[in-house]
Amino acid sequence: MSENKSETKAEAKAKTKPDKNSRKNVIRFALIVSFVCSLLVSVAASGLKDRQDVNIALDRRVNLLRAANLVEPGKKPPGEVINTLYAAHIEDTIVDANGKILDPDDQGASGAMHVYLYKKGDKIEGYILPFNSRGLWGKIQGYLAFKDDGETVSGFSVYSHSETPGLGGEIESAWFQKNFKGKKIVNSQNEFVSVGIAKGKVENLPESKKENYVDGISGATLTGQYLAEGIKSTLIKYEAVSINFRHGGLIPKDVTQKDMTGENAEPRTPAPGAGVDKNQK
Amino acid sequence: MAREKSKRLDIMIRGVWTENPVTFQVLGICSALAVTVKMSTALVMAVALTVVTAFSGLIISSLRKQIPSNIRIIVELAVIASLVIITDEVLKAFFYDISKQLSIFVGLIITNCIVLGRAETFALANKPMDSFVDGIANGIGYGLLLVFVAFIRELLGSGNIFGFSVIPGFMTASGYQNMGLMVLAPGAFFIIGLLVWLKNSLSGVSHETRS
Repeated sequence: MSENKSETKAEAKAKTKPDKNSRKNVIRFALIVSFVCSLLVSVAASGLKDRQDVNIALDRRVNLLRAANLVEPGKKPPGEVINTLYAAHIEDTIVDANGKILDPDDQGASGAMHVYLYKKGDKIEGYILPFNSRGLWGKIQGYLAFKDDGETVSGFSVYSHSETPGLGGEIESAWFQKNFKGKKIVNSQNEFVSVGIAKGKVENLPESKKENYVDGISGATLTGQYLAEGIKSTLIKYEAVSINFRHGGLIPKDVTQKDMTGENAEPRTPAPGAGVDKNQK
Repeated sequence: MAREKSKRLDIMIRGVWTENPVTFQVLGICSALAVTVKMSTALVMAVALTVVTAFSGLIISSLRKQIPSNIRIIVELAVIASLVIITDEVLKAFFYDISKQLSIFVGLIITNCIVLGRAETFALANKPMDSFVDGIANGIGYGLLLVFVAFIRELLGSGNIFGFSVIPGFMTASGYQNMGLMVLAPGAFFIIGLLVWLKNSLSGVSHETRS
């Protein structure tokens, strides 16, 4: 040990420059490198945060608009166009588990859920549900839009996923998203069945299932399976909203619990999991 | 000056062709499998990797006299990782759509053997500007191969080039089907393997002595 030490000392003396491999220098160098690197990374991360947040918000809006068919799938208009379209047509509302509109201040209320209403002028043309599904590699987040009949899908879009590009990543592609348009979440007996993702093409499915399935992505069976499960659980969660739309619209926030015990109450308040259990098999 | 120039040219040719990182050094295979399903992702990945390899070469080479040899790999990795994170943040802020497409692959540049390989074998022993050129050359060499593999895979696997459909309708009508294997990782293995074989069998390129 002592021999080693004296050796390095001798070496250090022999050279005019200080030895770059001395313990002191190693620690000094490591500290400097880590300090400079962390400084650069944090400057980049915090300095660009605002721009990134703007991009993320804009990206969500454009996907909402895509689901509502206001923007073609795969296209991206400039930022101002997106914001004007969004302001003119989309209304962010919060509903409770029974599909009753809540005050915007009730964000934190238990069971409060986001529903985006698609409006043309004052008329509600449809509604858009955010979904948060499991994927093969990570979460898949996006929007599913419905017509005001509460059963016809009018659009689908994804704003965040980590699926493999070219395989599961195809859920972002225009053909897959257009696929959803016009599909029903109820079958011919008016029972809730959700929208499934077929293995392969829909045209190979029996006639009775064609309305409830979209074309799958070859090479991405699992992504399709998880996404279909995620969509189904979202739809079960929002079933009350869809049922309300099937009966004429959401319950406005000024309607109290008392008013609902009238004739309307029966069809509007769904029994928990109504129409769901039958199709679970 | 003239010697400097011809030396850089030599570095360039070696990186792009004779010592191509994928076919000669057989580095960076994992990412070559992952990003070559579509040409657009392959191209952006190639550009991002070229930038990172070039600048990490430049930085590491200018520090090469100070870096203590026993912690050099950690220092190289710290430099590379910081560069990749900064690239990722910049992409997210200014090219959000591209960064979304690349998703996890930008982060994977850190683990790409080419970056560390060039830092370790070239940047530590050469001048900063030479290392910079070497990084660009290797990035281009990697990128060319990536785009070539992606071209074959996208054409055969999905019938597209850069996302545009190129298979005429009458072919699909008469029973043409896309080759599913090409979309999956093994398809890339076959193509890269064939390319390595092809390149090394060209005369004057092979590094193995022929008998």
